[in-house]
Formats: sequence, structure tokens, C-alpha cells
Amino acid sequence: MTDGLLTKKFDSILIANRGEIAMRVLRAARELGIKAIAVYSDADRDAPHVRYANEAYYIGASPAAESYLVPEKIIEAAKRSGAQAIHPGYGFLAERASFAQMCYDEGIVFVGPSPHAISVMGDKLTARQTVIAAGVPVVPGIEAGLSDDELKAAADKMGYPVLVKASAGGGGKGMRPVYKSEELLSSIAAARREATAAFGDGTIYLEKLIEGGRHIEIQLLADAHGNAISLGERECSLQRRHQKVIEEAPSYVVDEELRQRMGAVAVAAAKAVGYVNAGTIEFLMDKDKKFYFLEMNTRVQVEHPVTELVTGIDIVQEQLRIARGRKLRIKQEDVKVKGWAIECRINAEDPYNNYLPSTGLITTSRIPTGPGVRVDTGVFPGYEVTPYYDSMIAKLVCYGETRGAAILRMRRALDEYRIMGVKTNIPFHQHMMDSHRFLSGQFDTNFVEERFSMDDREAIHDLQAAIMATLVAHQQGEQASQIISSSGDGGRNQWRWHYR
Amino acid sequence: MKYMTSVNGKEYVIEVDRDCEVVVNGEPHAIDFHNLTARGLVSLLLDNHSYEGVVEENSGNIWDVLLRGELYEVKVQDERAYRLAKARGVLAEASNEAVIKSPMPGIIVAVLVDERDLVKKGDTIIILESMKMENELKSPIDGIVTKIMVEAGDSVEKGFKMAVIVNEDEEGLED
Repeated sequence: MTDGLLTKKFDSILIANRGEIAMRVLRAARELGIKAIAVYSDADRDAPHVRYANEAYYIGASPAAESYLVPEKIIEAAKRSGAQAIHPGYGFLAERASFAQMCYDEGIVFVGPSPHAISVMGDKLTARQTVIAAGVPVVPGIEAGLSDDELKAAADKMGYPVLVKASAGGGGKGMRPVYKSEELLSSIAAARREATAAFGDGTIYLEKLIEGGRHIEIQLLADAHGNAISLGERECSLQRRHQKVIEEAPSYVVDEELRQRMGAVAVAAAKAVGYVNAGTIEFLMDKDKKFYFLEMNTRVQVEHPVTELVTGIDIVQEQLRIARGRKLRIKQEDVKVKGWAIECRINAEDPYNNYLPSTGLITTSRIPTGPGVRVDTGVFPGYEVTPYYDSMIAKLVCYGETRGAAILRMRRALDEYRIMGVKTNIPFHQHMMDSHRFLSGQFDTNFVEERFSMDDREAIHDLQAAIMATLVAHQQGEQASQIISSSGDGGRNQWRWHYR
Repeated sequence: MKYMTSVNGKEYVIEVDRDCEVVVNGEPHAIDFHNLTARGLVSLLLDNHSYEGVVEENSGNIWDVLLRGELYEVKVQDERAYRLAKARGVLAEASNEAVIKSPMPGIIVAVLVDERDLVKKGDTIIILESMKMENELKSPIDGIVTKIMVEAGDSVEKGFKMAVIVNEDEEGLED
């Protein structure tokens, strides 16, 4: 099952990604003394991942489909640079089995699992069947391969609500909740259409819809020598349109006993596909804390830093060590979860206007610092947020001894963050940090969309904003009149206004 | 100098005449105001309360102010401009027309209304795909769709006018 998996020592690595995750991998590589090789599109020539790399290679036009998503261009850049390994980051080519296979065929180490593991876990249906065989609990469901009428009969027997899911699905596409028997057939047809359009595969199946569930995932590390460990859970229930917005580790609802049980199940699921490298098993947890396998992400996750902060384990460095063929240095009993970490994804979007993405030139970017604050970002003043790539511009991660301390620190850090030029969802995060439901840990995957609103947030610094704008406008008027009357240095400092 | 400044529906009369002082709605406040960068980072000590913000010109007399995470849109007019605007305002504000413009470059996924349809404030008019996401563009007013300039599949640039909605009550349109 590890056919197509190559691990060996390497001294140079090509990072087939951009933005904050390219920076994250670049830093891990440099810390291990590995030469970091970047690739970039037209839009990214000035991006930090290019400037901080040892070498950088141009791979095409700004749209991802013409650069970061073209396997041949990545392989060509790897050959040109002599890179011995490729780290795919997340998104783009990270979960494409054919790309992992291409790397193998070229004798390049792919930092991730085998093509086989990627393709088994990449298809929801085969993943489900594989983990069932390994004794992993899954949401009760009805397999594909039945006619619509047979599906309906089976669903009526199982009871509603049910969830129609696309086998190739992701990001909520091809997924539909159905509450009544008479709505099932039209929902199946719609899901099939959506999945065919998005993934070229209209295979669908049914699952029982678990209401009020939480999304909790387990981080895994597995080496090429048959060792696998779990690094505890992440609470990822705060989502909008199936996109996580805030993650934390540990979860408010998971205790040590449950953590160990979930960890053991996750390890079993990974072993079922001969999994190697870092991976994540996503679970759905119901109100009775019963948990069910959702899917496996066969790559590093956006939210990996929260686990790093509470375990002290550098997941990306471990990925590189595993890909170099090393044995895991950490034993399961050495993994200890200490303290609390929260991540807020800072997106270029307007939380007061239906979270509409915001594009433009970043004019100011001042990142919060100080104890317990980590910011992973790929943007800087002068960076243009374009519509070509996704809207996440930074991850703000805060650590505290307790959940309360982490939340207080996050409030402080959000207050200190200054990004100008695009609208960001910082007010959303500030509002969430004040929300009673969040503070008390009482939320599920529907919370953000159904029971959280920005309408009751009041901006409280109108007066100060009015004074600031007025004084700047006044200065501008004064300067203009000075130029007209050319009255020397008249009044430049009369307001104790200092220009640098 | 006297300014009429409005933000979030609140109006402030701000007088800027003396050193280290502003008078807001008749009340004097001690201030110390520093520009920290050419990019608009400022420090305000208002009666010794400290605020750091970023101030940028948006358009005309509108300023964007970023303060403690929130973005404020502030309109600053000096007395003369304020009076002029007020005189003109009666005419300008009578237009009850909303133009749905593309907030960013993207591709039209769907147009959910037809010309002459009645729509309510908050109804989705157009779905625009950009940055990997489908975005619902909603009507800011109740009214009637008088014009649609795009169809599904069109690529649009930022600021492209896509649809016009007119409040029929005010305009007395016939249907």
C-alpha cells in the first residue's frame, strides 16, 4: 500500500505553494538546514515566500490554473532547480494523487502520503468503506450504487433528516440536508448536478444528518516505519459555508479519556491505508459525545499551529523528517497537551456586508506581537489582495495557560492588529470573542451561520474616529493653503504635529 | 476652523482653532495628535486617553479610519462645504436609485431577477464568483428592477454596473 512512496534524505526542497503556508514550510526547511526553493506566478513576484527563499522560479500567469495548479510546471521547476523534494502545502496540488505519483516517477520525494493513500482518502465513499473495515465508527448511511427509488426507500426506513453527499465532494459542494421524504429525490438530483459540475463525478450517497454536531479533528503523524501517533484534537466547529474561521486546541468538550479514544481510532483509520506523514482525521461529534469519521485530510492543515502550540511539536519539521525517512522521535506517551491555543483566520472580507471578499492594495499591515502571539502571514504593506487566490491573508494564533487566558490574549492581539487597504473580518473575531456562547464553549457547526450576527455589534469609537479624520483633513487643508500662500514654515508644528 | 463631521449617523461639530485643543459639540478636549507614518498611522491623545489609528482618504470628503479593529467611514466637511452640500443635497438625495456594482472582478454565476421585477431590501439580485467563493449581491432598497446589464457567464471588472433598482414609490413609476 506504500507503492509510490519515496522517502530519503534530501537537502533541497521545492515549495509548491504560496502565501502564509509557503512561508511556514520555508521556515521549517531553513531551520533544518534544507535549501528552500520557491515558485511564483506573475502576481507573486514580490511576495515574501519569493524574497525569503534561497531560489525562486517563475511558473506562469496569476490565475492558479495557469501556475500553481499545473503539475508539469511544478515538476519542471523542480528539475530545473535540482530540488530533491516537493512540499505541496495545502490546497492546489496537495491532495492530487496523480501529482504525488509524478513526483515518485521523477525520483522526487513528495512530502506527504503515497498516491494510493491520497486517492483512497480523497474519495469520501472509498474512505468510508476503508475505515469501516478498520472498525472506525462512521455516520449511519446508505451506500451508493442504488437506484433513486431504492435510495428513497432506504432513507424512508432510516428516517429523516438525512444528508445527501457527493463522493468526490469538498467545501460543501454537492452536499444537501433533506428533512422530508418528498424533498429527497429533487435534492439528490441537485446534489448530483452540483457534484458533476464541480468534480466531474456525480456519485452521491446518503448519511443520517447529525444535528447540533461539532467538528472535531485529530492530528496524526506517521513515519515510513509503521509508527503512528496522535497529537490530540482541534475544535473546528466555528465555520461559515463549510470554511473554518476559528479553531482551538484542545476542545472544550473533550477530556483526556475521550482524547485517547479518538486518537486510537484515528491512528487505526490512518493505518488502514498505510498512511505516512502528517494527516488529519475529521470527526463529527454528536451531543452525546459519540464521534463518527467524516474524512481524512492527507496534508498539513491550515489550523496546524494550534496543535503545535499546545504540544510543543513542530508539525512541519516533523513532516520533513518523516519524508527524509527518519523514525518518529516522539512516542505516544510523550505527547502532552498543555495550555490552550486559539486561531483566528484573518480574511479579506467585509463582515458587515455578507462577508463579501475585499480586494485591493494593503497600505498598512502592523502585526500584533508580544507573549503568546503568533502570526503566520504572507502579506505586507504594498501587497495586492487579488481575486486569483483565496481570501485568507493571515492566521492569528494565541496561546494561554487556560482557555480564558487565550481568549483574553486574542482580544488584546485583535485590538493591536492594523490592516488597511482591504476590509477584514477582524470585527467578526472581536465580536466572537465577546459572545457568551463562544465564551461558554457552547456551539456547533451551525452556530456562526444560524445564531451569530454582526447586527448587534456597536462600534464605540465614533467620536475618536471623527476627531482623527477631522484633524487629518484639517492638516491637508492647511498644507494646501501653505503652498498657495507660501508662508514659509508657518504653523507646521503649531499642533505638535510631527511628520516623519 | 469649524468642521461638520459625521460617522455612523452621528454628527459632530468640531472646532480646530487653538493649540492642543479641539472643541467637539461645544465641549473643549485636550489633544495631542501625531502623524507616525506617511501611510496614515496616527496617534491621538484625547484628554490623555490614547488611541492609535490609521486614516486614509477614501473619496472626496470621506475618510476611512481604522480604530481598534473597526473601520469607520467618516465624512468631514468644513462649514462652507457643508452649507453648499446642504443646498444641493435636497436635489441629490431625492434620487431613490440603487446601482448594483461589482465589488471585485469576477464571473456572474446567476442573475436571479428579471427587469421589472419587484424586489425587497436584502433580496439577492446577482451571484458573483470571485476568490473561489460565490457571493450574493443584495438589493440595498425596496424597489423595481429597471435595468440588468449582465448575464450568467459574463466576466466583470471591479465597479462594473450590473443592475439598477429604483424605488417606485418615490419615483411614481407605473407598472
